[in-house]
Amino acid sequence: MKYFLKLARGRSFELAIEEAGEGRYRVDMDGRSFEADFSDVDRLGQYALRLDGKAFAVSIGEMETKELQVNIAGESFSIVAEDERERKAGEFSGGGKARGETITAFMPGIVIGVRVEVGDKVDAGQAVAVLEAMKMQNEVASEQGGVVEEILVEAGQAVQANQPLLRLGPEAEAAE
Amino acid sequence: MPAAVNQSRPYFDKILIANRGEIALRIGRTCRDLGIDVVAVYSEADRKALHARFSLDSVPLGPSPPSESYLRGDKIIQAALDTGAQAIHPGFGFLSENTAFAQAVTDAGLVFIGPPPKSMEIMGDKLSARQAMVAAGVPVVPGTTEPVADVEAATLVAGEVGYPVMLKAAAGGGGKGIRIVSSAKEIDSAFRTASGEAKNAFGDGRMYIEKFLPAPRHIEVQVLADHHGRVLHLGERECSVQRRHQKLVEEAPAASLPEETRAELCQAAVQAAKAVGYRSAGTVEFLYSEGKFYFLEMNTRLQVEHGVTEEIYGVDLVEQMIRIAAGQPLELPEQLFPRGHAIEVRLNAEDPDRNFAPSTGVLRNLRLPGGPGVRIDSAAYRGMEVTPYYDSMLGKLIAWGPNRKLALRRMIRVLQELHVGGIKTSAGVALRILESAEFQKGQYDTGFLEAMLAAEEDLGRPISPLEEVAAIAAALHRQHTAARAQLRPTTGNGTGPSPWVLQGRRNLVDHQPR
Repeated sequence: MKYFLKLARGRSFELAIEEAGEGRYRVDMDGRSFEADFSDVDRLGQYALRLDGKAFAVSIGEMETKELQVNIAGESFSIVAEDERERKAGEFSGGGKARGETITAFMPGIVIGVRVEVGDKVDAGQAVAVLEAMKMQNEVASEQGGVVEEILVEAGQAVQANQPLLRLGPEAEAAE
Repeated sequence: MPAAVNQSRPYFDKILIANRGEIALRIGRTCRDLGIDVVAVYSEADRKALHARFSLDSVPLGPSPPSESYLRGDKIIQAALDTGAQAIHPGFGFLSENTAFAQAVTDAGLVFIGPPPKSMEIMGDKLSARQAMVAAGVPVVPGTTEPVADVEAATLVAGEVGYPVMLKAAAGGGGKGIRIVSSAKEIDSAFRTASGEAKNAFGDGRMYIEKFLPAPRHIEVQVLADHHGRVLHLGERECSVQRRHQKLVEEAPAASLPEETRAELCQAAVQAAKAVGYRSAGTVEFLYSEGKFYFLEMNTRLQVEHGVTEEIYGVDLVEQMIRIAAGQPLELPEQLFPRGHAIEVRLNAEDPDRNFAPSTGVLRNLRLPGGPGVRIDSAAYRGMEVTPYYDSMLGKLIAWGPNRKLALRRMIRVLQELHVGGIKTSAGVALRILESAEFQKGQYDTGFLEAMLAAEEDLGRPISPLEEVAAIAAALHRQHTAARAQLRPTTGNGTGPSPWVLQGRRNLVDHQPR
């Protein structure tokens, strides 16, 4: 199977994996090939990886289906990994500009305040609400911007991670 | 053998620990080592917490928010009375620096394992602390010892002290109600916002002014004082690695400090403790700038980073606090000598790539380091839910070595061995701090961490040699989980294809030419 990987900090890799049985694989990456021995240690994300004989204690957490948190020797890498089928499927959808935005809580916490009202125009990156967790207050910002259509929470309310907070509609007569 | 049992319990038979998490467990461990029974208290969210499992009694306090559980002094005192505990250890945070609670404990006929309420009161207010230190001859940062009444008064004083100045809340703490003011133009709005913030956070909007010290180092001294007039110091700790006044990496002794300054600093800390009639363990914090040190504040409780001092002095500070509270004289020699060097890294549940926002969820996996010179103070376990209710600190990693170089290498190894799954932690940032040239040389101040993070933001981090390995591992993981998913029956009622059929199909697919 072919994989397309994008690291949170910029670099992209394309690689092909061929199973060689017994947890062994042949990996081709950017014209180089490696012998990999990859064994699942605990089915909880820990792996023993040997790459051309070099040992790595790897652990991988799935943040979302495609976003992986890969930890090796204390370093942590956020990687979006797509296989060739997902890559193809992605080429058909996406592309067009999204209409409106639902702003969600990026962490569970208490809503300290909502800074906008229905009908307000919000710029991309503008903070619209404040959440508090673990004694720290954090701003929640809009990614795309738009016009506030609906406010779904109120101050003092406890929210779960990913719970919708506000809905933005596209800006009328949006300047392209 | 009742006599022998009594001898092994010289202080108290039973202590209630009014705290949670890592520090409740750490205090409980010393109690159990000393043969003292432990009473734990816990909130709804902490029903399964380790501190509440490793205790003789455990008493529910109520709902998860601290105001309904760990801050309910009345319930905690009642729990102590109900379980027959003789003393209460408050740990740090929560009620540990609450004078009214300390007094209520004493009034209930129990022993508060901490300083007398009077010392807490003086040190709890930044202005009365400054006044007491000036009177005791302990150097303080130039500025006012009285609150400034309003913006006009603040402008006047700031002009005399000389810009830049710090505007600070008298009741402040945790970085709230503090502003750096670099010129007279800024003071008006800085005064109003900082005072308002302080009023909101502490119910007290009084402000005072200090000279702003450029690039100070944060160095603090551990003291122990008994009820028999003895006050000892256990050397200093350096805690200059901070982000927004939150410490992340600490070490003992300080990375580099002239020997005579060290002696003066420790002596000043002893003077400070004596000046407020201190008893118990406490920490006197100083700022060290351009060869001079200044009193910052005194924390009238056990400090988060007390472990590094314990490692180099071989003294259990919690045991000493219990002994002192029981009225026993300190049995330590007048002159204590540290051995080697210790470094601590705080492991916080926060996401450094998202501006250190709290990271909550289930701790899906945990692999803790070990080996020579390694101490892990943590109450984390696999399957634990990290909730938004409490402080984000999961625990502390401590490495000891015969010298700073080895302690540092050990700490790097510890971070390389650690794995926390399911939630994000500050461990990666700590590793980059320890590997930085500034930290390795011991040349860093309180501006270091923010400067390091800003440089990473602007210039990007250097490409890690492990990046390619991580990419390969990610792809192998996808390949492996896809194979595993195909082996699993799709439904539980046996109507789906058998795993063997699926494996067969997978083998066919895999052997098709690409």
